[in-house]
Amino acid sequence: MHKPGRTSLRLSLQFAFLYAILTAVIFVGAYWFTNFEVRGWLRGQMVSDLAILTDIYEKNGKENLIQSVNIMAAVNFENSRILQLLADDGSILAGNINAVSEPFAEGYVPVDQIQIEGDHATEISGYWVSRNPIGPFVLVQGTGNHVIAEVLEALGLTLVAGFLLILALGALVGVWVGRLTEERIETISGTLEKVSAGVLSARVPTRGGANDDLSRVSVSINETLEKLENLVESQVQISNDIAHDLRTPLQRLRQRLEKMSNEKAVDPQSAAAALEQTEDIISTFNALLRIAQIEAGDRRERFQQTDLGKLVTNVYEAFEPSAEEVGQSIELDAPPVPVFVWGDPDLLMQLISNLVENALRHTPAGTAIRIAVSGAADSATFTISDNGPGISPVDRGKVFRRFYRGEKSRTSGGNGLGLSLCKAIAELHQATIRLKDNDPGLRIDIRFATNQK
Amino acid sequence: MRVLIVEDDQETADYICSSLRELGHVFEHAADGKSGFLSALDSDFDVMVIDRMLPGLDGLSLVKSIRGADVATPILFLSAMGGINDRVDGLEAGADDYLVKPFAFSELSARLAALARRPPMQSEETKLQIADLEVDLIRHTVVRAGVAIQLQPREFRLLVYLMRNVERVVTRTMLLEGVWEFHFDPKTNVVETHISRLRNKIDRPFDRPLIHTVRGSGYSMHA
Repeated sequence: MHKPGRTSLRLSLQFAFLYAILTAVIFVGAYWFTNFEVRGWLRGQMVSDLAILTDIYEKNGKENLIQSVNIMAAVNFENSRILQLLADDGSILAGNINAVSEPFAEGYVPVDQIQIEGDHATEISGYWVSRNPIGPFVLVQGTGNHVIAEVLEALGLTLVAGFLLILALGALVGVWVGRLTEERIETISGTLEKVSAGVLSARVPTRGGANDDLSRVSVSINETLEKLENLVESQVQISNDIAHDLRTPLQRLRQRLEKMSNEKAVDPQSAAAALEQTEDIISTFNALLRIAQIEAGDRRERFQQTDLGKLVTNVYEAFEPSAEEVGQSIELDAPPVPVFVWGDPDLLMQLISNLVENALRHTPAGTAIRIAVSGAADSATFTISDNGPGISPVDRGKVFRRFYRGEKSRTSGGNGLGLSLCKAIAELHQATIRLKDNDPGLRIDIRFATNQK
Repeated sequence: MRVLIVEDDQETADYICSSLRELGHVFEHAADGKSGFLSALDSDFDVMVIDRMLPGLDGLSLVKSIRGADVATPILFLSAMGGINDRVDGLEAGADDYLVKPFAFSELSARLAALARRPPMQSEETKLQIADLEVDLIRHTVVRAGVAIQLQPREFRLLVYLMRNVERVVTRTMLLEGVWEFHFDPKTNVVETHISRLRNKIDRPFDRPLIHTVRGSGYSMHA
């Protein structure tokens, strides 16, 4: 067994790691992008300032220019904007820059290579500086890089904070969801362990309404378990049935043979009786085996279009004389056109024949039995009805059990397997069996869906 | 008649062989599929009995091989597999009849006789006759001693089946399969009541019965 929570924790860590990489990539990208954008914007500002000052000089002359440069230098915030107006002889006319090294046209100057009136703002580590002529003068202007630093700082802070928050939340949710999932997986594997330990009735608890993967898996596991349980039950049932119905006749046969072996000469009558008992045992055994094989469903590959009307007519012709002989009557009601169902003709014939025999056996003389076939758009129905004593509603659900005999019919013969065979055959054909009150008597409807294959 | 028995269970084989010997038949016994195949090719048998489960070569393949070798001898498949698909599988492989173990020898013997003397199918018969009983297969008419007899469709089929197996024993199971296509055993006396009705129509009004009951086996039709 693995420790619960391990899988989910690992998943959360993997998730966090991936998120960290993603954040780093975003940060680097944002850095380059911000740097580029802010730089462009600052340059634009300096170009426009240069244009304004040039304009002032051309319209108002030198004094105004000097004044304007001084004003600009004075109103800047935290000394981020620095200016210097030089005369053609190199002397300083205006501005707050005292000295600057590197007299190039444009470029980045570290903060220690530049001297200004007052102190550099602490965030500034350098300036973008440009040097342009205005008339006979030269304007040196610069902008501190603290804007970029501040933007990046804010961005970095947000990303790191977000990262930590997501990491914590992700881990929390991951562990929580993982726990939940693992608990359910634990339940499923626990159920399966129970089943393999022999508790075939164990089922995975399913929550109504939930339609996630695990719920669907749980439902299909339960369906499989249901089938498994039914199969095992039918195996057990067959073993029980064999023990139940074969042990007694085998015991009788054994007694007879023992008795015969003690006699000097074999009495032909005893031998014939022993043979008859053997025949009965074989027939019960075959019936059980047949039910089991039909329930296993391997007969379906032999299905074909089968005319239900023809089968019913055949069964009618077979049993009508026998019915008449014991004072019962059978009436046939089949349409002149074929009524096709998808099925196994041999088994369907046995189904119909068993139901007719069942009616003949369990109703008294004078009973009228009616067998009918009818076809509808999407179904075909076989109906057998009689005006005999019928079956009490309590017994109706039981008659298809193996070896079941109604109270009244215990003495009327049969091995009690005929109707369970009928049920197995009907189920193989996905047909529904309905027992109804024929008032008086019993009516059985077997309905086949005809649009299935 | 000459019978080839391919059966690996010694006790069953002995049972079949000794019973056949009692009836005066000649037989050869093979205990596995391969020797069974060689025997089937070598000698001219009237009928073969082949067990489904054999060592060496299984029964189904054996039947297929025999048919593949153009041997048309009638084959009866014998099987302990009560599987409901087995009969169809066996017949599809080329067997002519199928019998599930455990069986009564009378059943086997009746079926073998029916198979061995199966009339050659080259010409479709149009008329059957036993003594003064005549059946017209085309017009579906039955006449005995010049008197026309009305039969129900199943009674007619039953009569034709019996007449085609004239002087042979026909078992109840053979009739259920051949006349009603019932491949199961109804508990009701379907065969008995139909035979009785048929007798009332074709035997009772006349001086001599043609349908005879064979005790413990079935029925036989002869003059």
